[in-house]
Amino acid sequence: MNTDDLIAHARARFDHVAARRLLKEKYAGKMLFAYNGGMWRAGPELLTLLQAVPVEDNVVLLDLYDNPVKVNPAELQYLALGRWQEQMNAWLVEHDEMSQKR
Amino acid sequence: MTTGAVILAFNNEETDYVGMAAWSARNIRRHLGIPTSIITDCQDIDLLSDFDVVMSADAQTGGARYFEDYNQTVSWHNAGRTDVYDLTPYEQTLVLDADYVVASNDLKHVLNSAQDFMCYRSAWDMTAGHTLDRLNQFGDYNMPMWWATVMMFRKSNTAQYIFDCMQMIKQNWQHYRDLYGIRHSNYRNDFALSIAIGIVSGHTLSVAEIPGSLLSLMPAVTLTGQEWADHYSVEYTDSNNKLKTMGFAGVDFHAMGKKHLENIIAGAS
Repeated sequence: MNTDDLIAHARARFDHVAARRLLKEKYAGKMLFAYNGGMWRAGPELLTLLQAVPVEDNVVLLDLYDNPVKVNPAELQYLALGRWQEQMNAWLVEHDEMSQKR
Repeated sequence: MTTGAVILAFNNEETDYVGMAAWSARNIRRHLGIPTSIITDCQDIDLLSDFDVVMSADAQTGGARYFEDYNQTVSWHNAGRTDVYDLTPYEQTLVLDADYVVASNDLKHVLNSAQDFMCYRSAWDMTAGHTLDRLNQFGDYNMPMWWATVMMFRKSNTAQYIFDCMQMIKQNWQHYRDLYGIRHSNYRNDFALSIAIGIVSGHTLSVAEIPGSLLSLMPAVTLTGQEWADHYSVEYTDSNNKLKTMGFAGVDFHAMGKKHLENIIAGAS
């Protein structure tokens, strides 16, 4: 490696924009989970829907593949909320760590 | 039901795909907790000790291909993938490229899904931060691409039709090249899979895709190191021609630059 290359490598900066986009893509993948034969994405949309349905009965919802799946709303809400909070917290930790990189 | 991963690995003059697959098998066991089998022409027992089942097969070449990271054209033994359906010892199989890095348990949701066949629909450039639009379609008619890098299938009619169809496409490659306006002369699994999915689904493309994108590092990007388990760093030139670095952890990705991945594996062992 010549001197110019060494200087260029030393000057290489952490790409915050790309890293943020990658974090978003990473955590979008981590929000997915399987339940009762269906595939679900934990997030505000699913959680809001689950709050709107009666909790005492099983209901039929469309999963990510548009398949109707009979679910226990309380159980699905517990799983979705748990995963969403866990992954959002992990996202925040990584985001904050990354923000300090130069 | 038995579940496991299968990796096809045939070394060429430049790349140690078997070594890459052995490293990947250890990652798969650690993150997904499933056994891994290999389909290979390698006979060295010591190199194959990381696999639960070893299936011997002759290398089937798809032609020669230029690899940017090696800066040369090398043989490409990629054509055996259509046999996976018949060869797999598992009822549910995860087929992975040797250069697909498993660094998380994200693929568990694919294994837990009720679908008979799944693969990625779009690839995403990790350093550019957008989908690889140029690579997410193929042929003169811009047909949608499905990626054979990661496939999950259960022994089922749907999966068998797709693999049988891929086999037919491989055997009649020139015809399908002409039909779809594919300019590459080499047989490529991604193209065969994409055509097969179109045919099997009656061109409705209703086969289930793996949610999310196939995160990919292009060959021009230098995978500079594995700082600790499942944490990688890369160096690349951005669109303004400036040298940039980035690090990421717990992300599964397709390392298109085999040479850099080989260096990391050599350093890890």
